[in-house]
Order: sequence, then C-alpha cells, then structure tokens
Amino acid sequence: MFYLLLKKELFIELRSKELILSMIVFGIAIVLSFSFSSDLSRVVVQNYASGMFWITVLFVATLGVHRSFAYEKEFDAFSMLVTAPIDRGLIFLAKWISGFIYLTIMEILIIFPFFNFLMIDFPLNISVAVITTLFSNLAVMAVANLVSGIAMRSNLSEILLPILFFPLVSPVIIAATQISKGVMLNEPYAFWEIWVLFLGSTIIISGLAGYALFDYLVEE
Amino acid sequence: MTDFFQKKTNFIFLLSVIILSLINIINIIYNTPMIPDQHWAQKIFYVHVPSAWVGFLSYLVVMIFGIMYLNSNDDKWDNVGLAAAEIGTFFMALVLITGPIWATPIWGQPWIWEPRLVTTLILFLIYIGYFMMRAFGGYLERMKRNAAVLGIVSFINVPIIFLSVQFWSPEIQSHPQVEMAQQPSEILSPFLFSLFVFTMLYFLMIRYRIYVIQLNNKIKQNV
Repeated sequence: MFYLLLKKELFIELRSKELILSMIVFGIAIVLSFSFSSDLSRVVVQNYASGMFWITVLFVATLGVHRSFAYEKEFDAFSMLVTAPIDRGLIFLAKWISGFIYLTIMEILIIFPFFNFLMIDFPLNISVAVITTLFSNLAVMAVANLVSGIAMRSNLSEILLPILFFPLVSPVIIAATQISKGVMLNEPYAFWEIWVLFLGSTIIISGLAGYALFDYLVEE
Repeated sequence: MTDFFQKKTNFIFLLSVIILSLINIINIIYNTPMIPDQHWAQKIFYVHVPSAWVGFLSYLVVMIFGIMYLNSNDDKWDNVGLAAAEIGTFFMALVLITGPIWATPIWGQPWIWEPRLVTTLILFLIYIGYFMMRAFGGYLERMKRNAAVLGIVSFINVPIIFLSVQFWSPEIQSHPQVEMAQQPSEILSPFLFSLFVFTMLYFLMIRYRIYVIQLNNKIKQNV
C-alpha cells in the first residue's frame, strides 16, 4: 500500500511538474539573491556557503511541502484518501519520501548555479557531501511533512506553515549546516559526528511522531 | 470572576497566593544576600528561574493533556491544554523579559547566543504559532486535534532544540551553570520558597483560566 501511495504522489507530479518547477525556480532565485548580497571574499563566502545552502533548502521545502498538501485540498481529495481502508500513517510516509525525492531533485539542479554564482569551490569529498545532504534532506522533510499535516486544513495554512515550520525545523537546519560546513572545509568526521547522530535521532523521532500522530490530523 | 472566588476553597487559595507572593517579594528584596559582582541584578534570579520552571511545567501539561484529548476526544482536556499553553507562554515571555534585564549589566548586552535563551525563544515562537492556529480557526474539532498534536510535537522538540543550540557554539555559553544544591542556605531557601510560590500562583492561574474558558464555551453554545 505504501508503494501505491508513493506512486500516486510521484505520478501527480510527473503529470503536472508544477511542484518541481516552482521549487527549482524559487531555489535559483534565492541563490541569485545570495550572490547579489554576498559581495565578499571567496574565503568568507566559503565559510557561510553551507548556511546559505540550507536556508535556500528551508524556503524551497516550505514551498514544496505546502503545494504537496494543497493538491489534496482540491476537490476535497484528502477526504477521499482518508476514507480508504489504509493505515493513515502510510500517507505521511508516502508524502515524506516523495517530498524527499523532490527536494533532492531540486538540489541536484540548483547545486551548480549555487557554486558558480557564489564563486566557491566544490567540496573535495563529493560522495560524503552527497550522502550527508541526502541524510539532511530526510530530516528536513520529516519535520516539514509533520508540520504541514498540522497546518494544512486550517484557514490560512499558507501563513501558518512557515510560522510553525521554521522554529520546529531550526535544530535540523543547525545540524545540516554544521555537517555541510565540515564537509566543505574537509574537516575530519569526528568533528561533525555529533551532528550526524543528532540528525539521525531527529529523523527517528519526527518519523515516528508523524506516523503515529498523522492518524489524528487527518481524522474527519 | 466573583462566581469563581465566591467558592470558599478558591477564595482561600487566592488569599494564600497573595500573602505568599507578598512575603516572597519582601524576602527577595530584604532577606537575600547581595552577590558582590552582580548587586541588584542578581535578585532577578529569584523570579527568572521560577518563571522558567513554571513555563516548562506548563508546556509539559499541554503535552499530557494533548495526549489525553487525542485519546478521549473530551473537550475538558482541550480546555486544560489551552489554559496551560496560555499561562506557559505568559511565563515564557516573563523569562524572555527578565533574562535580558539581568544580562544587560552582567554580560554588557541584553542578548547573546546561548542555548537556554535561544531554546526558550524558539519554544515561545512555536507557541505563538499554536495560538495563531487556534485563532485562524477552521473546523473546531479538527483545530483542537491539531492543537493537541502541536502541543505534543513542541514538547518532544524541547530537548532537541536545546541540544542543537548547546552543541553549536559551546565556546560562548555564558549562562551561569548554577548547581543549586551547593548554594548556601541564605540563597537556596529563598529560591526554593520562590519556586513554591510561583508554582502555587501557576495552579491558581490555570484553575481560573480553565473556569473562564469553560464559561466562554457555554456562552458560545448559547448564542
């Protein structure tokens, strides 16, 4: 059933492409704004680059996760989805994984403009950078989908989502920034190991909380 | 207000809290020792720490009653959760006000990157979102469920937020790491008394607020 739900999420996007497109355009616009506003030496920008990257991800994830739940509002599709005889926690898991996939695609497409616009060097250890970024994406989307589940069916959900999401996701952004900084500056793993463990626990806690509590959020 | 305090037990409770609060204020001003480097600024410690304790206690109450509401769907648990969230946020605001008042003469600036300060601020912001969610409305039962879930998620996040901030910049953690058990009795006793008075004040406030919320709900039902 999980694969069916995931397939549904991915197929909707494959047909419309509006989520991915808007995320990418918004992501590039933010990167461009950063490059305008950071007229600093390369060394300074290199130090701040990881923070800029995760702030970009934060904004784009907000946009993406809101749209992902807004789909369900149209024609009251969500009511139909929750009346299906399935474990509702799986809806959360499907949205989490699909959100993770969209976010990763967006990052793949903005990463070259990001490094080029800011005129900074790619990290030396690309594979570590990729793995840690994927890990951070998983944590960001776990919290994003949980918060979006809370905000989605209230009035003015588009305002409520960032208001709730930004403070709740702040530990994840701090951890992701520290990990990326460590990778960018080629620091040994021991320097940022604590943040990896930290992200791991956030993924487990948010994932379990989302899976267990989503049932109550979607109840009619 | 009169209805609530016309009840003998509530009136005695109110009277006790007023008397205890007055004794507490006098005790803090006249009976606590002056710390050489901090002078009067240190006195705020007897208000700041109990406020933080009551604030976090209140958010724990929000989580517990959120779980109870989700399990039973009984409105009375939601009323307790809402009252606790409001009073908790009031005390958190007090923490955020008294903290900088203490910090300005001691640290030379009202705000620095410090885990407990930032954790409190983040939690405060989450609860502002909590009230906005309740205010923006939507279907009432759903909004109550969402509020209960948010109360649970927020409290689960407290240790995560705290650790994240603590790990980030350990070199600039200026918050006094006070080991209360090792303090002399002239500091420890008034501190514990203040903690007790604030807790009593909290229970009085929450009882009264629940009463007012129930009254409001009755009025809304009759309109």
